[in-house]
Amino acid sequence: MSRRVGAAATAIVTALALAGCSGGGTAAGGAGGATGAPVKGGTLTMARSADIISMDKTTTFDNNSIRVMEQIMEPLFHASPDGTKVEPWLATGYQASADGLTYTITLRDGITFSNGSPMTSADVKFSIDENTKTAETGWGFINSAIASVAATTPKTVTVKLKYAWAPLIADLALFANGIVPNNYGGKTSAQFYDAPVGTGPFVWGGWKKGQSVSVKANPTYWQAGKPHLDGVTWTVVADASTRKLQVQGGQVDIDDTPDWSSLASLKSASGVKAVTYPSTQIDYIAFNQKRAPFDDVHVRRAVSMVIDRDALVKAVLFGNGQPAYSLLSPGTPYFDKAAGGAKLDVAGAKAELAKSSKPNGFTTSLLIPSGNPNQASVAQIMQSELSAIGITMTIKPLDPTANKQARLASDFDMTTSAWTMDIPDPDEWTSFAVDPTGGSHSAFTYYNNQDVIAINKQAQKVNDPTKRQDLYSQLQKQVSQDAFLAYLYYSPYVYATTDKVEGFTVTPLGTYPLQDVYKTK
Amino acid sequence: MLHRLSFVPGRLLQSVPVAFGVTLLVFFLAHLLPGNAALALLGQRATPESVAALTEQLGLNKPLWEQYLLFLKQLGQGNLGTSLTYQSPVTGLVLGAIPVTLTLLAYALVLSLAISIPLSALASFRPGGGRDLGVRAFTLLGQGMPQFWVGIMLILLLAVGLRTFPVGGYGETAGEHLYFLFLPSLTLAIAMSPTIIRSLRSSMITVLESDYVGTAKSKGASGVSLLTGHVLRNAAIPTVSVIGVNLGYLVGGSLVIERVFALPGLGSLMINSIFTRDFPTVQGVTLFVALFVVVVGILTDVIYTILDPRVDLGRASSA
Repeated sequence: MSRRVGAAATAIVTALALAGCSGGGTAAGGAGGATGAPVKGGTLTMARSADIISMDKTTTFDNNSIRVMEQIMEPLFHASPDGTKVEPWLATGYQASADGLTYTITLRDGITFSNGSPMTSADVKFSIDENTKTAETGWGFINSAIASVAATTPKTVTVKLKYAWAPLIADLALFANGIVPNNYGGKTSAQFYDAPVGTGPFVWGGWKKGQSVSVKANPTYWQAGKPHLDGVTWTVVADASTRKLQVQGGQVDIDDTPDWSSLASLKSASGVKAVTYPSTQIDYIAFNQKRAPFDDVHVRRAVSMVIDRDALVKAVLFGNGQPAYSLLSPGTPYFDKAAGGAKLDVAGAKAELAKSSKPNGFTTSLLIPSGNPNQASVAQIMQSELSAIGITMTIKPLDPTANKQARLASDFDMTTSAWTMDIPDPDEWTSFAVDPTGGSHSAFTYYNNQDVIAINKQAQKVNDPTKRQDLYSQLQKQVSQDAFLAYLYYSPYVYATTDKVEGFTVTPLGTYPLQDVYKTK
Repeated sequence: MLHRLSFVPGRLLQSVPVAFGVTLLVFFLAHLLPGNAALALLGQRATPESVAALTEQLGLNKPLWEQYLLFLKQLGQGNLGTSLTYQSPVTGLVLGAIPVTLTLLAYALVLSLAISIPLSALASFRPGGGRDLGVRAFTLLGQGMPQFWVGIMLILLLAVGLRTFPVGGYGETAGEHLYFLFLPSLTLAIAMSPTIIRSLRSSMITVLESDYVGTAKSKGASGVSLLTGHVLRNAAIPTVSVIGVNLGYLVGGSLVIERVFALPGLGSLMINSIFTRDFPTVQGVTLFVALFVVVVGILTDVIYTILDPRVDLGRASSA
């Protein structure tokens, strides 16, 4: 008997051990254009590393789930293909009052839900209100400036704000503010999200947990002639090499996020296209200012200046990406390329360290998520670079959830991290990063510069794009000086597709509109 | 015959505390991992406030013993609880994954036997001969190659190169399942058969040298009829227990293979649940795996008893 219990224990311990040594990576730059007349029909299959979790758009933070719900439920506005502007979608436009406190939004005519009922202002009010209710544990925080939403006429919605809030229209472009039928069509929210209904190009198909999720074409989609595909299926293929082999073998049409190391071989493989798309992702090192010596700006600058970002782009991203010199990524509105982020300057780093509380160097650690080859390379390169100025750095890998726990508990010296935007407005990230009341103690750094906080708050209230550009430029320059983060690189999104896939493109926010995609025979 | 299987009910009863002990161990081991499901669900936007609120909403702020008692209480009602990640019953998730893993294991076992029996026979008829050396070289290779590597090589050769088999996945129909599971099962079989071959080969050699086989030979039995009629049953007895023990390890191996071949089985479910700290699901999978291994143990003894009339476990265990 004991041998068999031993075997059972071995199986379980193997599972626990595997959990300790795995994870994922993300990436991002490029193009994808359609040629010729679109072909009707066919099912698109995309292999991804993980399953969806839920279709509840108000409380789900998982990107794999979000990419599916975006095909079914659409918001009033959406980001332009280059990610820098907001365009009308289910709305035709809006008018803001002079004081910036009232927005009147006009809805597009002739929009129906896939269940046949027409979309009205009552549906819009319900959808936004439902999201606002989830402020505590969902995306509701994004609506915190909204005082009320009213269905003024069947085709107009009036949004009243608590205070002037420039990002409002960008916030309404978030999937969490997507439009669903009033009162969930008479269902409970749980029942509704088991098989969600929206106005999107696809309708809910089905979900085999752990295996695949699928959507089918919406025959009554408001954009005539679209979608071209009969349906889309996302399969779960955890292993990156298996995903690569599947797209090479033609078993799937798209491999979501192949490894950087495999990109060159995918690009040269016949029948496969590997394309990068600009993203809003910025990878950075966060310094914990609650721990000495990172409360010292000279120490932070020294560390930032000793990092060779070009070397990181080459070693980690295999040349696909750009070194980062600003808090904002180039795909984010109001990005300023003259933000003055630290550049490689070993002599300068030594001079900064000499001015600091630790002129002779010190011992510290870098927290990274385990099982992520990209972060592991970053850590190893930094370790050798820091030793050149007398800083001894140990690497602390923790599995992704334990890693988050350590950040939340402020239990780290330095940590690698990354951010991607969900809305085409910098405020989502700047408020999280620089405002200690933004929910995360300034991206877990405890950075607290009153001037920067004031600029950020002012930029939330100003609607004029020129003035906002000026404010966000000031902010980007100041935070670079304070070196509260060490920016590393901007990585693009990367997808490998078979050469039969046409029209597939990814916006800097990571969304991919599948109504334009088709497969050639 | 039946009276010799009288040990079975007792052993089944014994399996209850074993399974209970395993869940208890895994429950507290799993909770040693830092972080909880709320943190995993909230992603990059997690703030201390939102994590605290969701932790409470999911009932994870209750003391551990209370959570474990809740698990036991639900188990008593035949309910494995609710998955924290999917917010749906764990029973459904586990029941969905079981057929994948069980089919994989059974398929792997069948393939292992299909490889091992002929090779063992080939090797044992002339120990030390060229064929024997060839088979022994295969067992060394089979044991030496890591499973994930064998899997990837098989994919490269048979799925990408020749396009005979799919690169992972599970298929929709029963026929497709067998087709999709062929390569992963073969990978597991390649890993498992060396152990079987070693055991079977040596016991076959012993049996082939025994007097009654000499008698059978002198009466004209040879080749396949000698093997099936006189050798295999007796030689199989020690091998059955080797297979029984190894099936437990095979469950562990299937975790890796499920990942390489993208199979939605218990291994994938287990690994994802550990990552996302979905402990009710971890518990559910663990409980099933523990029961599976215990039942395989009992089955091994049953087969043992049937194959060898001299074995009487009922008397041994009551003594």
